Amino acid sequence: MSDAILVIGGGIAGINCAMNVAKYGTKVYLVDDTASIGGMMARLDKTFPTNDCSICIEAPQMYDVDNHENIKILTNTEVRKVKKVNGEFQVRLVTKPKFVDEEKCTGCGACVEACPVSVPDEMDGKIGGKRKLVSMAFPQAVPNVVSVDPACRHGEMRKAGACIGDCKVDCSQCRECPIALCVMACEKEGKKAITHWQSSKNMKIDVKSIVVATGITDAKPVGDLLGYDVYKNVITNAQFERLMNAGGPTAGEIIRPSDSKHAKKIAWIQCAGRGLAEGKGTPYCSKICCMISTKQTIITKEHDPAVETTVFYNDLKAYGKGFWEFYRKAVDNGVDYVRARPYEVFEDPETKNLTLKYEDLESGELEIKEVELLVLASGIISNKRNKKLAKVLKLELDHLGFFKEKNPLTAPLETKVDGIYLCGGATGPIDIAESVVQASAAAMLALQNNLQVKS
Amino acid sequence: MVENIRIGVFVCDCGSNIAGVVNVPDVVDYARGLDHVVLADEGRWSCSVDYLSKMQDLIKEHQINRVVVASCTPRTHEPLFKRTVKEAGVNPYLLEFVSIREQVSWVHMQEPEIATEKAKDLVKMGVAKAALLEEGQEIRLPVKTDCLIIGGGMAGMSAALNVADQGFNAVLVEKEPQLGGIMNQLCFISHDHYKSPAAILVESKAAQVHAHPNVTVYTDTHLETVEGYIGNYRVTLKPNGDGSSGNIDVSTVVVATGMQELEPEGQFLYGDDPRVVTQLQLDRMLRDKAVQDVKSVVIINCVNSKNETRGCCSIGCHTSVKNAIALKTLHKNASVQILYRDLSMVKEEGDALEKAKKIGIKFLRFPDDRYPVVATENKNLIVQVFDLLIGKEFKLPADLVVLTTAFKGDETVEHIKGLLKVSSNADGFFQESHVKLGPLEFPADGISLCGCAKAPMTFKESCEAGTGAAMKVSIPMKRGYVEAEGIVADIDLANCNQCSICWKRCPYSAIKVDAEKNPEVIKALCKGCGLCAADCPKECISIVHYSDEQVMAQVEAALEDDPDRKIIGFVCHWCALGGVDMAGVSRLQYPSNARLIRVMCSARVSIKMMQHAFDLGAAGVLVAGCEFPTCHYITGNYAAEKRIKRTKSKLAKAGYDPERLWNIWCSAADGPKFAGTMREMVKELNLK
Ligand SMILES: Cc1cc2nc3c(=O)[nH]c(=O)nc-3n(C[C@H](O)[C@H](O)[C@H](O)COP(=O)(O)OP(=O)(O)OC[C@H]3O[C@@H](n4cnc5c(N)ncnc54)[C@H](O)[C@@H]3O)c2cc1C
Repeated sequence: MSDAILVIGGGIAGINCAMNVAKYGTKVYLVDDTASIGGMMARLDKTFPTNDCSICIEAPQMYDVDNHENIKILTNTEVRKVKKVNGEFQVRLVTKPKFVDEEKCTGCGACVEACPVSVPDEMDGKIGGKRKLVSMAFPQAVPNVVSVDPACRHGEMRKAGACIGDCKVDCSQCRECPIALCVMACEKEGKKAITHWQSSKNMKIDVKSIVVATGITDAKPVGDLLGYDVYKNVITNAQFERLMNAGGPTAGEIIRPSDSKHAKKIAWIQCAGRGLAEGKGTPYCSKICCMISTKQTIITKEHDPAVETTVFYNDLKAYGKGFWEFYRKAVDNGVDYVRARPYEVFEDPETKNLTLKYEDLESGELEIKEVELLVLASGIISNKRNKKLAKVLKLELDHLGFFKEKNPLTAPLETKVDGIYLCGGATGPIDIAESVVQASAAAMLALQNNLQVKS
Repeated sequence: MVENIRIGVFVCDCGSNIAGVVNVPDVVDYARGLDHVVLADEGRWSCSVDYLSKMQDLIKEHQINRVVVASCTPRTHEPLFKRTVKEAGVNPYLLEFVSIREQVSWVHMQEPEIATEKAKDLVKMGVAKAALLEEGQEIRLPVKTDCLIIGGGMAGMSAALNVADQGFNAVLVEKEPQLGGIMNQLCFISHDHYKSPAAILVESKAAQVHAHPNVTVYTDTHLETVEGYIGNYRVTLKPNGDGSSGNIDVSTVVVATGMQELEPEGQFLYGDDPRVVTQLQLDRMLRDKAVQDVKSVVIINCVNSKNETRGCCSIGCHTSVKNAIALKTLHKNASVQILYRDLSMVKEEGDALEKAKKIGIKFLRFPDDRYPVVATENKNLIVQVFDLLIGKEFKLPADLVVLTTAFKGDETVEHIKGLLKVSSNADGFFQESHVKLGPLEFPADGISLCGCAKAPMTFKESCEAGTGAAMKVSIPMKRGYVEAEGIVADIDLANCNQCSICWKRCPYSAIKVDAEKNPEVIKALCKGCGLCAADCPKECISIVHYSDEQVMAQVEAALEDDPDRKIIGFVCHWCALGGVDMAGVSRLQYPSNARLIRVMCSARVSIKMMQHAFDLGAAGVLVAGCEFPTCHYITGNYAAEKRIKRTKSKLAKAGYDPERLWNIWCSAADGPKFAGTMREMVKELNLK
């Protein structure tokens, strides 16, 4: 029987896990339920504490994974059913259609240019990034192919301008589409890569071990927490990350949503929503937010040293190698750190500036601060798809939604199901280097399990 | 034998992506007229399965032995074309990739004629280089299955067991009489004590190690010498005391030497008053049930941490809370207070904090710049502390003061560093190969790093790192070899003056020297950055696929016509070319003056190359490398930056305006930066 390993989640943890296994000589299925591998790191601008450019260091690894003969990448793919038989896993995968023939698409982008309809990009949230109805997840995406928004079929986006002419045929029945502009653009290029009639594909694989690397999610502030839902210029730190990214929707210009003007006074609020009940905020310390904000202030100052940057925080988490030095660098560059408890935000309806009311923890005084852009460090939470996956894998989640280890002390990264292991953000809030360490460890455990499970 | 060079040029339309701007038939015609070109063909989609097989047929039919592909970008498509030519019987190192989509059609969309001229130039440069290409091949070095693990703490033991479980041999060397390291001194390792007595965890692990048939344990032994590199290390071990030393041969090494407490001698009365102890000493006391009748314990965190010279100790908050809970559990009526600056407790550690508060442990925050003072009054210990949140100073009586101190690497680090030719920071923690993506490795292949030898970390993290390190060293042991891509350095000793620059500067320790200081490249370890070649004063180092000759040929081809309006750009394959590609994908339009030459690393660009361009009349030269601190060869861009400075003064002496030599450090996401630089250069140099 098969000697393969299944890695679920193609972020930096999954990529590293897969690469180790493949180099060892064992076959890997690397499955991600989004259109490209890369995970959170592909969205980041720089990485603390060195300020290495995120995609610069991740993309070469993505290409390596793509080119490795032992690795099969399956994107847009969900793990639907897992059955353990004689120590091996029979896995059923479902690949949702991208409505694109991956073999034929060369990622040239002609269809993207032809598509007249832009919709908000989920990745960018409030800062107003847009993507077309047919789009590439990001320029370095692996596989480097586009996908068509499922909402854009059956002529449903015709009103918005996506298709021309009339058509009453069901897309799934029709093998050629004379009306969709993306299809026409592709044909003009001499290709027939866009296939609106594509349906889900089922696949059965047998593997001996499984590694769960489903990662983390950035928490969205709930409701009007510190003005998030009501004021345009209150954004999250994940959105700010996109704002300062040269590859992001503003080409790296740090401009605020209300008027697209460069923000000259920016404040970060740490632990935004911390301590609030689940569903209202992030009840625990997410460990990496202090360094994320520190990074963002340093980069902001690099863009323009004149920008006034203030971080409102309580406990500074500078726990890793080089982290404290990184914080000191920010301070040396003129970033103002204030130990404070912010409690209210008001917007000036004319200037759209924000006034923050806070208690200065050192002086005990109530103070105010006016800024042009307010960034909420709203925390790192578990991936919401974990629940479904846990059920399929028969694993347990902890009360925060992260996968539970069998025994963190004696059996780290193992789960209660022999042969299933964890790494990266699937275990809790974590940074990149720690994810990479766990990925190597999980790869080792999975390979050891493969050795034990005799065919 | 003089080989008959037969070059095939394949120019891609990329649908209308290239052909919509560039006049491809014109470029193909032009290519046909170039020296050595026996065939030029236009492909609508060169990367399609159909065209690839046509390409293979053409290669065979026309006995083509050098291939130039002019299409998108090598960063994504080179592997595909390499495979294709290989299958057609052409050595893949005889392929040259020319980027006319990202560097031409997508960035000069409004100027089809100029774009076509530029595409021709790029093809000409590619052909010039292709004519000089030489075969290369992957280089292998055999690796056997013996692994040396230095340090027998939790990380080292985890590594040893994982190596051994695969049937490989693990040799575990521990300088103490007993395996276990720091864990031997601890009482519990987390706040839910009864689940985690340290002794039980460490003993069961050590027992497994001792019982494993594939692990050889040397305790009470130290490392005398290590020589060699992956696949053939010769290690001399010497038992502490009188025993005589012996040699073993291993293929890989794991460094797991752990850490030690930095004892706060002379601070907070430590060393003067026995009632002032460190966390580790407290742990030992707890383990030995030696804490008696305490009424008031004061714990001071961040001792010697988070100051000008040292960062966060990483585990102090966790340790202080854990031990405070142990004390409070044993001595219910005692007052236990933790004086802290920041509390760094994450996820489940948060539970410990809750528990500590619940059972009455008090927390008091002091300012970063105003540490508590420990003094004696009438023989009683007093801790004076300013409470930041209350804004008032307090005097706390104590019969035990516990200092949560910083850590440093093991005292043997200095010695081991020299033996393995690796580096460490000021505190004796080893420096990993890449902070983000190489946390378990050193730059040299075959040596892995784990546990607190890298930085202070928890028990769990050490075990994970040990397992991860085992993974890293197991890959070459399982495969039986390490392999390097054929792009490697080659030294011609005929001109060598034994100056030692090459082997001293090699970031990968891939150059060894014999007794006469003659360098030799260990090809399997070479990553091909070319730093040594560019720095060699005698020009006796060549880089396969990026030789001086080949690069110069590209420069010459580029500058054959109209040199005074051209910019020669040397761009590194990784980030700078990524930035160029990003500008292309984003369709950023910029002036067409640059002719880019790809090198693996900006450190490959020698003074001679830069000057050659000026000698031939180039309007400007640009060197583009990775943005600091990113570099795919660790510090190549730093070396390049230094060299550019030297080149500028040389240029000035030679009568050139040094301001015509530019450099940018560009991330792979930063298309705007590359495009902007192009515009700026053209403006500053007054080009058309
Ligand atoms: C704003 C922000 C800034 C950050 N900055 C830094 C920084 O500067 N330095 C640093 O070290 N760290 C930083 N981090 C943390 C870093 O992003 C994470 O440590 C890292 O991305 C974790 O990698 P991962 O592979 O575990 O998870 P992810 O990157 O989240 O990847 C998980 C992957 O799994 C896929 N997936 C999820 N569920 C399923 C499923 N059921 N089936 C199939 N696929 C699935 C996802 O689509 C995704 O591709 C930052 C995080 C944020 C939010």
